[in-house]
Amino acid sequence: MPILEARSLTKNFRRPDKASGFKGAVTHLMQRKYKNYTAVNGIDLSIEAGESVAYVGPNGAGKSTTVKLLTGILKPSEGTVRVMGRDPHAERIANAHDIGVLFGQRTQLWWDLPVEESLKLLKHMYGVSDADYRARIARFDALLDLGEFMPALARTLSLGQRMRADLACALIHDPKMVYLDEPTIGLDISVKDRLRAFLREMADDGTTLLLTSHDLADIEEVCERIVVIDKGAIAYDGPIRQLKAHYITTKTVHLFLEGPADVPVLAEKFPDYDWAAGEAPSEVVVTYESNRFTTAEVLGSLTSRLAPRDLSLSEPSIEDVIRRLYAGELTE
Amino acid sequence: MSHAHAVDRALVVVSFKRRLAYKSQWALGLALGGGSMLIAMAMWHNLLGSGTLAGYDWDSMRAYTIIGFVAATMVFGAADFQMADRILDGHIAVDLTKPVDFQRARAAEYIGSMISTAPTAVAGVLGAWLLFDPPGPATPLAGALTAVSFALVFPLAFGITYLSVLVCFWTKRYLGVMWLREALLSFFSGLMIPLAFMPGWLQTLAWALPFPHFTTTPAVIYLGRVDTAGALGLIAAEAAWAVGLWFLGRLVFRHAVKKVTVHGG
Repeated sequence: MPILEARSLTKNFRRPDKASGFKGAVTHLMQRKYKNYTAVNGIDLSIEAGESVAYVGPNGAGKSTTVKLLTGILKPSEGTVRVMGRDPHAERIANAHDIGVLFGQRTQLWWDLPVEESLKLLKHMYGVSDADYRARIARFDALLDLGEFMPALARTLSLGQRMRADLACALIHDPKMVYLDEPTIGLDISVKDRLRAFLREMADDGTTLLLTSHDLADIEEVCERIVVIDKGAIAYDGPIRQLKAHYITTKTVHLFLEGPADVPVLAEKFPDYDWAAGEAPSEVVVTYESNRFTTAEVLGSLTSRLAPRDLSLSEPSIEDVIRRLYAGELTE
Repeated sequence: MSHAHAVDRALVVVSFKRRLAYKSQWALGLALGGGSMLIAMAMWHNLLGSGTLAGYDWDSMRAYTIIGFVAATMVFGAADFQMADRILDGHIAVDLTKPVDFQRARAAEYIGSMISTAPTAVAGVLGAWLLFDPPGPATPLAGALTAVSFALVFPLAFGITYLSVLVCFWTKRYLGVMWLREALLSFFSGLMIPLAFMPGWLQTLAWALPFPHFTTTPAVIYLGRVDTAGALGLIAAEAAWAVGLWFLGRLVFRHAVKKVTVHGG
């Protein structure tokens, strides 16, 4: 049985429909108008225990709303959610015992208290035993270096420290299902690396993870499965590997020639490849289908016949694929 | 101690500690509350002289004013904004992912913040005692019942504040709601002027509300203006309000939580 199952999950919101300026404000005061919009539109999602799933989409796609529906914060307008067999909104407290949640943009630390006090309060809330608490804090300290700022007031922490402390707060009760909503937002590369290593270890240990992020490196490093959401609906759901294999079908070579590049002539000479001018006059961009030609073949024919001064090879990243998915250029 | 009680206690302590972090708040509370008390004393002294007004003379008015100061310190010094801000800025999303009853957790925090006003209240009362030498309670039993009525101010203040904070789910603003609540409380509690000075119909209206229990109830018990049966009746009414508002809070929250719309992030 899946640990999480959502069926036809939908959330509608009502937004004031207000014209701009003073006139708009006065008109809205006299005659209130609202517009309904659908943030999440009939999502079906099923997650098995131990899976690590990336949930991605452009800003305003409905990612955070979905997370809030799955964690029981919001009540669905339509559809159902079951997390470990429970309705997370109706059985909020029971559900909260088994889940861990991190909102990258909202801290759960008590702002004017030392980090340690927040963690101790959560220990009480979740009924964590002294021995478990000590063991987990020791583990978090080893992986996230908590010790250095445990006695510091939360409001004095740097963003990186705050996020590490928040992660410890989300995991202090060893939850079975963990939701991480943009856990690396605003962090520098070294803190991101450390956080990702920690998340990878968690995933390897069998914790079920649902991760939303705009940073695709988070996703590639931590998750095996990716769900792409756009305009409230799922645009892709499957293994990251498959997404790449399915959509990354071309590769690109940048050639730097001795003289200026004449694209039409080159295109006539090598009709199997796509040719485009590069940024510099002597640069030319060659795109070929990776399932028709091997890189060795392409490079062999180009270098022997054109003798370029230099070349570089690039492969479309998962980022490009997702950008094209968002733009509606790709369909499943 | 059950798990739920341990959580309550931890929340009370944390909330108390949070207030400790802002020591200037105590000084400010003392300056503002103490200042208001001094002004009230001067005004009543001038107004009453050696006479009486609606049964209050200068002697009883001194005790009344000090009781009003204690009630005002407890209620106005508590952390209502903290609660409202979390609803307005979306941090309620975090609160709703915690395995605790939302209302009970907020009550523990609020009561912790009320307890943190104790130094202000104690310092103010001691100072006033030295300066004005008010009369003691009418009887030792009246003194004890006054304490009971003050103890009930904790859940009662929470009940009213919590309901007014929940209004934020609809209004999306807190300041106006807070002003309204504080104005109603100042007026109908008898904090500004004793209810006995008001016309009969206004007194009837006041007693139909929970507010008189913030000043008038402890004051009339302390001064012996009601007999023991009357005092017990007032305390029962105060307790009934506290219980009623608790359940009303539950009812309103059930609807309010459906209105949670935390956008973005």
